[in-house]
Amino acid sequence: MGAVKQVRLCGLGGQGIVLAGTILGHAGINDRKWVAGSSSYGAEARGSACRSEVIISDEPISFPHVIEADILVAMSQSAYDKYIENVESEKGIVIYDDPLVSTKEINGLKQIGIPATNIAATELNNKQVANMVILGIAVEITKIVTKGALISAVEKNVPERFKALNLKAVELGLNWEME
Amino acid sequence: MVLKEMKSTLPPGSYYFSGNEAAAEGAIAAQCGYYAGYPITPSSELMHRIAARFRETGAVFMQMEDELASICSIIGASWAGARAMTATSGPGFSLMQEAISYAIMTETPIVIVDIQRVGPSTGQATRPGGGDMMQAKWGSHGDREVIAISPWSVQEMYDQTINAFNLAERYRVPVILLSDEAIAHLRERIEVRERITIFNRRKEKGAPPFGAGDDGVPPMPAFGEGEKLLVTASTHTEYGLRKTNDPLVQAKLASRLHYKIVNKREEIIEYEHYHVEDAEVVVIAYGFTARSSLFAVERLRQEGKKVGMIRLKTIWPFADRLIRNLGAKVKKVFVPEMNIGQMAGEIMKYAPCDVISFSQTNGEVIHPYTIMEQLERLL
Repeated sequence: MGAVKQVRLCGLGGQGIVLAGTILGHAGINDRKWVAGSSSYGAEARGSACRSEVIISDEPISFPHVIEADILVAMSQSAYDKYIENVESEKGIVIYDDPLVSTKEINGLKQIGIPATNIAATELNNKQVANMVILGIAVEITKIVTKGALISAVEKNVPERFKALNLKAVELGLNWEME
Repeated sequence: MVLKEMKSTLPPGSYYFSGNEAAAEGAIAAQCGYYAGYPITPSSELMHRIAARFRETGAVFMQMEDELASICSIIGASWAGARAMTATSGPGFSLMQEAISYAIMTETPIVIVDIQRVGPSTGQATRPGGGDMMQAKWGSHGDREVIAISPWSVQEMYDQTINAFNLAERYRVPVILLSDEAIAHLRERIEVRERITIFNRRKEKGAPPFGAGDDGVPPMPAFGEGEKLLVTASTHTEYGLRKTNDPLVQAKLASRLHYKIVNKREEIIEYEHYHVEDAEVVVIAYGFTARSSLFAVERLRQEGKKVGMIRLKTIWPFADRLIRNLGAKVKKVFVPEMNIGQMAGEIMKYAPCDVISFSQTNGEVIHPYTIMEQLERLL
């Protein structure tokens, strides 16, 4: 069996969760992996719960939805509360937006707080790209895709006029010095 | 030669498409020359991509006023010589039924993609369902044969759309791609090959356009090719002349429309089997649910449980012989579906064993653990 990583990104509608998932999936393809991705799909507007799932595997994927996340990226409290119970208990990693999310202690689970929204606001003067910051950091921590694959996926999936900003944000994440 | 090798319209390689996008690309690869449609959730992205890509390829895209106009328009385009397609979801598919019957009677090759959502009626527009399986077969009056295919992956949304065009042209019949929201919005890596095989419509100067041909499927001229061409959905002779009082003409035509498909079902039908050889319980599944089922079956096999799975890739014509033979070998078959036992009922007609139907119509896909739980009870 090759490696299979189940990733769940979650937050609120408007935070760019679905775009982050699509970019991560695309990065997996760039790395020649098998990828399956699915996202929340409904009539809800900004501010409601939102989820994007990506499975990245060395082999073809049988069931294409996340059964138990190996990596959970949470950008809102409600999303964290909803999905925290569904993380792999031994090797699972949680990456959350600090201080938007306050965590609860779960035995053995590695939870890493990143001030992604604050970084985006202070460094880039635009908290809309917090999704790219946290995606970059998540990739840096977990190595689920290569840096080059991620950057090229951002280039392919972001409209021209926002490209420079999003690339800056993702690179800021990829190069973020953990305290 | 009617089969032709074509260069793919997309550069070969890996893509990260949604099911809807893959079906649109499959249509373009299959040389679809005309698309008419009316947008409906959850199929709309298919039309969006067609609209954008047809500008590059030069094919004709029309947004129609509704689904009735959409399907009538593709029937016309098909008679003008184009490979033609539309896409919709359950409510739109219901509106198309009358014209699907017309296309069957006039032997018009068309492709209809139905991205199923949970019903009845408007239901939950953004949620998957499997409620159109029987509608695809029996949605309009008259004994009618169609071909319907159920893809289980984004790769198959691409491959089977190409196949749908080939089957439509080969058998002069509407072909329905019975997909659903879960596959249409799933994104997966797909591989686009360099070359694809296309079936070119058979032509024969002066041959009757509604005759028996070599195998029940007559050659098909287009308007403007110089043939004397009459197309009517009333009962007609082999040259298309209306004969609405003659019992012999009616019997001959209705019977040919039936047998041209049914007699070729071994050629048309595709399926896959997994761990069936020594299985006591076999899951029969299709579409997304077959993904959940295979996951469950593989897990139970690891625990030494004697379970297997058949995946129906072709829904109509129905794989009656396969099910009859399978039912004679196993104790039970288990049929999980996102409808209230539509295909389970069909399987019961042929399987000489216990058939257990499992229904879930809450707008959610069936989770592999749910299937495992159900199977453990049966073992």
